[in-house]
Amino acid sequence: MSEAIQAYDPAVDAPAHHHPIYDYDSGPPVDRGKFAIWLFLGTEVMFFTGLIGTYIVLRMGSATWPDPDQRLAVGLTAINTFILITSSWFMVKSLHAIQGGDRAGMKNWLLATIVGGSIFIGIQIYEYFELIGHGYTPNVDIFWSTFYAMTGFHGFHVFVGIVWLLCAYIGALRGAFSKENYLRLELAGLYWHFVDLVWVLLFTIVYLM
Amino acid sequence: MSDHHEFSANKIFAYLIFYTAVEVLWGMFFPRDIQWALWGGLLLCAFLKGYLIFTWFMHMKFEGWIVKGLVLPTIPLIAILLFGNMPDSSFNDDLLHHIGDQLDPATGEVVDLTAGNLPGHGEGDAPEGEEGGEHGH
Repeated sequence: MSEAIQAYDPAVDAPAHHHPIYDYDSGPPVDRGKFAIWLFLGTEVMFFTGLIGTYIVLRMGSATWPDPDQRLAVGLTAINTFILITSSWFMVKSLHAIQGGDRAGMKNWLLATIVGGSIFIGIQIYEYFELIGHGYTPNVDIFWSTFYAMTGFHGFHVFVGIVWLLCAYIGALRGAFSKENYLRLELAGLYWHFVDLVWVLLFTIVYLM
Repeated sequence: MSDHHEFSANKIFAYLIFYTAVEVLWGMFFPRDIQWALWGGLLLCAFLKGYLIFTWFMHMKFEGWIVKGLVLPTIPLIAILLFGNMPDSSFNDDLLHHIGDQLDPATGEVVDLTAGNLPGHGEGDAPEGEEGGEHGH
């Protein structure tokens, strides 16, 4: 009997096609984590669209609108934009490193991403302190209301992204990621790139237009 | 596990830096009175950068129809939201207001806060700094 069990080849009873066989799986044929993060990012797109839509209504309804470079430090924020884009590039390098089996490289690039994001948010906090110190608070006029609403919510997203990346970094230090297993890192990266993408649009709309 | 797709991140990054530099120079030095050209150039740069990040850094180029299907509905929803706002923004001059206008909760009147007109606010309450450089919209 035991010899018969040992000699049994499951492939004999397998269907002719070579798809994997699950006991029960009603989910879509995509990583559940990836499905969830893209669904979440879809809702985030609509959240920021609501903010930008409000900004458009208020700006187009205003008889006049101040030139942003008369009120904001466009040069400093341009440097900040370069920093955030660079941190997004670091994130891609981190993912590529682990995909190639380079754990040390993955950790180094991930740490560089976190540092880049931290510098970005540090400069934004400095900008806020400077503006508020000069009396430019959100209740002064619609320009400042929309400015603080859009950049503030984005800054909060950057903060959440940094916390998320820190969690991934701690996981990386504990050896959670390998060449075959890096989905959690990829999901954190997707969120980070989304934050970068939103900033690209906000910087254009708020600081340059 | 996730698939591994090769592409040159350095090349995409170089494009992003280049477009950002062009955009900043365009926004700072292009004449503001030619608004359509100023805004057109800025939005073109922004959308090019957004396309590069979305397609390559976020791997959308390599995703299947399920993931693309999750993102696709946001495009008409964005259009509906923004164009739905048009009657209240671009096409209604009756709603034009000053950026300092606020509703005084005590009287129900619309007053200009930047001019120090709210009850209890004197002229000195307006923030320091010039109001110059304003333009239509």
